[in-house]
Amino acid sequence: MKRLTTVAVALAALTALSGCGREAGGPAPDRPAETGAGPARGTVSVWAMGTEGEKLSVLAEGFEAANPGVEVEVTAIPWDGAHDKIASAIAGRATPDMSMIGTTWMGEFARTGALDPTPPGFDEDAYFPGAWATTVVDGTSYGVPWYVETRLIYYRTDLAEKAGVKPPADWAGLKSFAKGMRDRGGARYGIALPPGGTGSWQTFLPFAWQQGASLTGADGGFTLDTPQTAKALEYYLSYFEEGLSPAALQPGELEQGFIDGEIASFVSGPWHIGVLKEQAEDVLDGRLGVTGMPEEETGASFIGGADLAVFKDAGNRDGAWKFAEYLSRPEVQATWYRTVNDLPAVKDGWSGITDPMLKVFGEQLGETRTPPAVSTWEQVASVIDDELEKAAKGRTTGEAALKSMQRKATAIGTGT
Amino acid sequence: MTAAVSRARGGHRARRSGGNRVWAVYTALAIALAVAGSPFAWMLSGSFKTDAEIRRIPPTWLPDQATLDNYRELFERLDFPRYFANSLIVTGAVTAGNLVFCSMLGYALAKIDFPGRQALFALVMAALMVPGAVTFVPLFVLISNLGLVDTHLGMILPFLAGPFGVFLMRQYISGLPDEVIDAARVDGAGELRIFARIVVPLARPALAALGILTFLSTWNSFLWPLVVAQSEERYTLPVALALYSIGQNQTRFGLLLAGAVVVVVPVLVVFVALQRFFVQGIAMTGLK
Repeated sequence: MKRLTTVAVALAALTALSGCGREAGGPAPDRPAETGAGPARGTVSVWAMGTEGEKLSVLAEGFEAANPGVEVEVTAIPWDGAHDKIASAIAGRATPDMSMIGTTWMGEFARTGALDPTPPGFDEDAYFPGAWATTVVDGTSYGVPWYVETRLIYYRTDLAEKAGVKPPADWAGLKSFAKGMRDRGGARYGIALPPGGTGSWQTFLPFAWQQGASLTGADGGFTLDTPQTAKALEYYLSYFEEGLSPAALQPGELEQGFIDGEIASFVSGPWHIGVLKEQAEDVLDGRLGVTGMPEEETGASFIGGADLAVFKDAGNRDGAWKFAEYLSRPEVQATWYRTVNDLPAVKDGWSGITDPMLKVFGEQLGETRTPPAVSTWEQVASVIDDELEKAAKGRTTGEAALKSMQRKATAIGTGT
Repeated sequence: MTAAVSRARGGHRARRSGGNRVWAVYTALAIALAVAGSPFAWMLSGSFKTDAEIRRIPPTWLPDQATLDNYRELFERLDFPRYFANSLIVTGAVTAGNLVFCSMLGYALAKIDFPGRQALFALVMAALMVPGAVTFVPLFVLISNLGLVDTHLGMILPFLAGPFGVFLMRQYISGLPDEVIDAARVDGAGELRIFARIVVPLARPALAALGILTFLSTWNSFLWPLVVAQSEERYTLPVALALYSIGQNQTRFGLLLAGAVVVVVPVLVVFVALQRFFVQGIAMTGLK
């Protein structure tokens, strides 16, 4: 039901807009407009999700102090439902001046024609390239990265030591790393890769990117069944076939298994540092390590986080972009990290971060990929999740799963 | 003598098997209660646990170290009275609207003969079959065009009457005896008077059911109030709870469970308050 609602809302938003004739005669290329000189004025309404929405007023104070006469109105919206809320607001033309947008939603929302192209004056090179790429749809940037997260391999350093294995450099290395920790390190599973379920594509696709796979072809259609992706899926599934990864994982099992030493490693984002410490700081003290993704053609990982976008209907476009520019300053990005632990999307924002584990995340951020910025991505992602689950549980072969992914993704299309 | 003995034996056997049947019923009910009640018990006990303990496997039924932190955080971070009031206003208005309008339309469709009655009823049935997901965005565009975004009215108006309520009331009122209504008509009562004095009192059990169902679904409604509200001051309880407990990549289970406990209390109160009408409904069917 929930997924049905999401899809229906997205479709309705798209059709409502095309009905409005906002882009008569097909999507004309958006031309970025300059922002005005001088300080920001008036009221800037901003939507932001969860903790970011709750704490954004901290940063807004600094902006208001630097721009007398401006007032930032932040509305915090729950992550759960945020996508549908923004999609409905676009359809009902009831958008705020700017909003935080999940990186994987950019393609969908930019294609509705509701987002304002990023004005010149934002320095693309200041951001991590993977982060900037999340804002670009059809060659035009529709926002600026706000904060980022990427995925690393978490592992038990004590088990790795006992097994005599080193953090992996490539695929063969990762396999022997996992095998070693299972066979000699005493873990039941060498690594827990997600056996399907919501979001498992975020762990699977990096393996495809590591083989140099591209998810869309020259004609813009999906190419999920390339030899590179096939190789990645075969490799991914081998972990389940060899019993290195559990074929079923209930919520909570991962953390508990890792703490108990049953699961020697897993792939996740920076939030797991806090989760694990909260649950068992004493057990994991000195036994928790993170390491970068294995490298084949590339050593790519997934990049997530959120961007800041300004709506075309914005009453205060100028003020909104100026606020986005303020939030992109290295010192403000550093303050934001100290306030809510969000990792800076701006490279220079990292200068104050000394935590050795976070530094590994910082290194991985130089080598990340994003899924194609198409309006149908959320639907295609759920197809990948479902097929991955069938294959990991042995209900279908990798080959059939891949064919099915490609067939369904092609049927869904890229929304153009 | 033998007959008496066999009767006594038979009676004894009958009593014993009756006893067995009672025990079987109690056992079945106890199992059903455990199945229905365990998620509630889990929610209650989880709300006193730390997040780490909730995630622990094997799970614990009683908190190892009971903590009030979840509730403390809930009431400190949330402007609770405001969200509670918002929820109450929206739910109260929607429930009242459904009780009034659905029973009126239900009465008209059941007891008043007018041209197009069947067609109108067919329309209601057709509306019942349209999933809410389909009408969601067009409804919001309508509310937006009416300038009702970020108002309580925008959250209430589209749901003041629903096809399900009309269907429920029409079915129940159809079962009321025509004679009573005809008698009132003969005595000179107008339609409004018949509706208010005869139909509504007789339809109380159906109204109680409709009231509870509407209250429950509106009280728990999440997406519509979230989409209509554009400022936190307009949030209803479920929206506010989701804001603080569900993150991009992780969920604060303790806070979520404590919030669920707080949200469920008013529902229980309403249910208990309306319970006697259900019992009354059963008593009435017995009299017929």
